[in-house]
Amino acid sequence: MSNNVRLGAFIVGALAILAVGIFLIGDEKFMFSSTYQLNSSFDSVIGLKEGAAVRVGGVHKGTVTHIQLPANPGGKVTVLMDLENSTRDVIKQDSESSIETEGLLGDKYIAVSFGSAQAPDVQDGDSIGSRPPVDFAALVKKADTILDSTEATVRNANQITENFREVGEKINRGKGTVGALINDRRMYEEATTAARNAQQGVKAFEENMEALKHNWFLRGFFKERGYTDTKELTKNAIANLPQAPPLEEFGFGGKDIFDKPDTAKLEGKQALDKVGKFLEANSFGLAVVVASTGIEGDKNENLILSQARAMVVREYLVDHFRVDDARLKTIGAGESSRPQPDSFGEVSIVVYPVGVEAPVAKTSANKIGP
Amino acid sequence: MHSVLSNLNSRMTVFDTPKRVAYSFFEWFGELGVFCARLLRSAVAPPYEGRELLRQMDEVGTKSLPLVAAAGAATGAVIALQTHASLARFGATSLIPAVIFHSLLEESGPIITGLMVAGRVGAAIGAELGSMKVTEQIDAMEASAVDPFKYLVATRVVACVLMMPLLTLSADLCGVLTGWLMTSLTDPVSLTLFVDSGLRHADFNDFLPPTFKTLVFGLIIGVIACFQGMRTRGGATGVGKAATGSVVLSSLFLVVADVLLVKIILALFP
Repeated sequence: MSNNVRLGAFIVGALAILAVGIFLIGDEKFMFSSTYQLNSSFDSVIGLKEGAAVRVGGVHKGTVTHIQLPANPGGKVTVLMDLENSTRDVIKQDSESSIETEGLLGDKYIAVSFGSAQAPDVQDGDSIGSRPPVDFAALVKKADTILDSTEATVRNANQITENFREVGEKINRGKGTVGALINDRRMYEEATTAARNAQQGVKAFEENMEALKHNWFLRGFFKERGYTDTKELTKNAIANLPQAPPLEEFGFGGKDIFDKPDTAKLEGKQALDKVGKFLEANSFGLAVVVASTGIEGDKNENLILSQARAMVVREYLVDHFRVDDARLKTIGAGESSRPQPDSFGEVSIVVYPVGVEAPVAKTSANKIGP
Repeated sequence: MHSVLSNLNSRMTVFDTPKRVAYSFFEWFGELGVFCARLLRSAVAPPYEGRELLRQMDEVGTKSLPLVAAAGAATGAVIALQTHASLARFGATSLIPAVIFHSLLEESGPIITGLMVAGRVGAAIGAELGSMKVTEQIDAMEASAVDPFKYLVATRVVACVLMMPLLTLSADLCGVLTGWLMTSLTDPVSLTLFVDSGLRHADFNDFLPPTFKTLVFGLIIGVIACFQGMRTRGGATGVGKAATGSVVLSSLFLVVADVLLVKIILALFP
């Protein structure tokens, strides 16, 4: 009967759907494959449910069949799980189980790690080790602490930035030393003034030193030496005598003019007066005082002494006679090359006629001490 | 409520007093109890009307299949579209198969099938039995020593009970397929993966109790429809009222029963 065939087909079809449904769900629970049982103990299963998945290497290979509370307070929660027989190849006695969460809010499942190759195989009903589960609440608490400290750090950083900003503002507004340095014109001027004062101070010190030289206590030293200022030694010095023939030449032994062999202190001023009078009476182009010392003593010191002697003679002439001091030059000849009757050295004043100019001025290129 | 109660008793009018309404309400339940008792007696006692049962199963089951399949398919498509819209907003599109499966298997499939069968089969039974009643065919049957409860009522009730789970499974299948199709339109996915991820967290408790609770739906539809048909009074109007009453009341009791069944299933199969 066609109606009954139709009915039969419908019934068979619907029952087939039922069978497929049961098979699919049962397969999900590993109800139709050969399994073995393992158990593992945890302090807390953090909400793991019976029927939860067991994953081996991330692959769904088993089901949590039962979760048992311990018999006494010291015990642990035991999780019984069914695993497919195929997992025996990778799960060994040293495999560890852990409770993991799928996603942040997802279901809990048990992850079983691979064992080591040399570890013995697991048997049905064996116990494997466990890793304590990551408690999400504890994690959140930890994250909270971290966030708190981060917040504090950020607040500090903000404070620091704020301080920097304030400092910057103050500098801009000209507060404080740095600000003043950067902003205050007066400060700059003060600095300039201070530098000027320092210069003046040095000058004053020089003057003081100068005054000191004339002080009675020290005067003797300078008086004895015959001159006071070392800087003046070569002020009017020239390098050598001009090539032109001289108008007149005065020669003196050092003994006739100077106090001692090793000083430039004038003694025989009468000898020089003759020269002075000559210079006053005659117009001349250039007069050069050439002084030398005896050969005793240090060559350098003698050079200085000769320069000093030439200077002292020149100063005497300039001070006491009406002569054009610009035409009066000096040469410190150092130790006299000619044989001397004594150790005084000699002084000669060479006068040149009008038209003879002074050669290149002697500079500080020669080795003269201060 | 008044309009519902008016269906309980065809003699009631809008102008009935509350006392009269309450009276007919309890009268209806009393008659239903007597009806069920007589049905049970007739159904368990041999001989059994096998041929008539097969005919009714074909009538209730096979002929309802296109309607139920279409309704299930539509439901699956709607769930897929709706969940995609809402779950995509939370970036949980991977949960769509699971939502479709759970929704269809646990509630949508059974209740949609129940309402469809209540509409199609309930109306048919109510009208058929009602017209037989008003044309006194049932009285004639009794006169010829044929138990109308055994021949007419029991076969229809048993057919409804047996066919409901099978129709539900068909609706589930169609719903899952259209759900997959609709999901594939936006996120192409293989049927295997779709079914696998849909059933990943599924349990037998999510599948078998909801499917077999439709046995109760079938019982309600069969009993209410037959009861409404058997107590038809009056002419063609009475037949119409019987048909309406069987659809409306079986649908109503089906939904109410579903509330209780869901609660019981959750308690018994957590």
